[in-house]
Amino acid sequence: MPRGVDKSRREGGRLGTWGVRLLVLGFWLLMWQVATWAINARIILVGPLDVLARLCALVITGEFWASVGVSLARIAVGFALAVLSGVLLAAIASRARVVRELLEPLMGVMKAVPVASFVILVLLWVSSSYLSVVIAFVMALPIVYTNVLEGIRQTSPQLLEMCQVFGVGTLERVRLVYASQVLPYFRAAVSLALALSWKAGIAAEVIGLPDFTIGEHLYDAKVYLDTPDLFAWTVAIVIVSVALDSLMNRALDRVAVRWEARP
Amino acid sequence: MSAVELQGVEKSYGSLHVLRGASAAFEEGRVHVVMGPSGAGKTTLLRLVAGLEAPDAGEVVVPEGARLGMVFQEDRLLDNLTATANIRLPHGRLRGEELEAFLARERTALASVGLPVDNRPVSELSGGQRRRVAILRCVLSEASVLFFDEPLKGMDVATVARVMDYLVPLLAERTVLWVTHDPKEKELLPSSVLWDVRDGAVSRL
Repeated sequence: MPRGVDKSRREGGRLGTWGVRLLVLGFWLLMWQVATWAINARIILVGPLDVLARLCALVITGEFWASVGVSLARIAVGFALAVLSGVLLAAIASRARVVRELLEPLMGVMKAVPVASFVILVLLWVSSSYLSVVIAFVMALPIVYTNVLEGIRQTSPQLLEMCQVFGVGTLERVRLVYASQVLPYFRAAVSLALALSWKAGIAAEVIGLPDFTIGEHLYDAKVYLDTPDLFAWTVAIVIVSVALDSLMNRALDRVAVRWEARP
Repeated sequence: MSAVELQGVEKSYGSLHVLRGASAAFEEGRVHVVMGPSGAGKTTLLRLVAGLEAPDAGEVVVPEGARLGMVFQEDRLLDNLTATANIRLPHGRLRGEELEAFLARERTALASVGLPVDNRPVSELSGGQRRRVAILRCVLSEASVLFFDEPLKGMDVATVARVMDYLVPLLAERTVLWVTHDPKEKELLPSSVLWDVRDGAVSRL
């Protein structure tokens, strides 16, 4: 029974939260519209209604979806590779101090070097088509690596001792002990890295200008001083970013729930 | 024949000498109740025979390949897993019929010691309930040598009776080292051998 009560209270709370969120959103949209009227120059600021109209016009074109698809696919590949290698490297680094010490400055450099420098450097090495793959990878890798490594190192020594006494095998230790202890760190890393990869990947496209990408459209908007286009694409980028985050969280939730509820 | 043996074991933590040349032979297939004042080294003794600590000098002998099980002073459970998943941990990954058979055994065990049989993670259980899960994980493992570090601490009389009713038959033929403060626990463990840890030595009473 108490669980039922809890649930209904939580849902009521959620409804309240959404109400507040909508109000806040409405407030800022209104401020945006007021600012547009005050400035009254389409080249500097476009109002939300104009942006919506432009976005609606964009989404019915095939080119819009092709560009979003191409950008998304490339960034997703870079991101996925970063998650895989980040977890793998963290696992190795947690065991071998040499690897940890060797990787530390490398990850530090990846975190500190500005995206723009990386983009120009990468353009010298690979074709602009692969640019966003590499940039998404470079942005996500140090975040995933550092967080997962921290999670592994924070794994309860008491639980590991328990496993040692009972002779729990390595695979089971990873699957049951490390996985649960590292999961919160992994989630935080993935959420942060995904948003960063997406933004940096598109920034890279603006510089590298691969065909049929979001970055290319942003660049065109700049060249033609097409501010409504710039705003509409930006809104599209934000929407994709929020959707990706939400999808990723849901997927991880599902995995966690299934994993935890096993009899 | 002894299953677990200490031969002139010395163990100190910094300037604190816990065991000073302690020797003891714990007979195989029997329950050994280990008592002694607080801080005398009972937990250290268990950690040594469990292989979690190395002696400074002397030798700790545990039969080669013997499987071990332990109830620690803390529960040491995987918080976000169910009671059954926790109890199954020492068995590795069971599948199909093997899993079903073991689950049935686990559910009987949970009910016998008065624990809820559901799919809640153990983090939602009370301290006393978690303790019982830790005890079941140990006795339902395939270990032939079991270590208990004050397993009944803080448990009420009725729960102790339920737990012991289920537990005692499962200790038969296994070598058990049972550390406790409470002299009454000796009565709960029929035909057990009593040991005393005191002043750095382990002696049979």
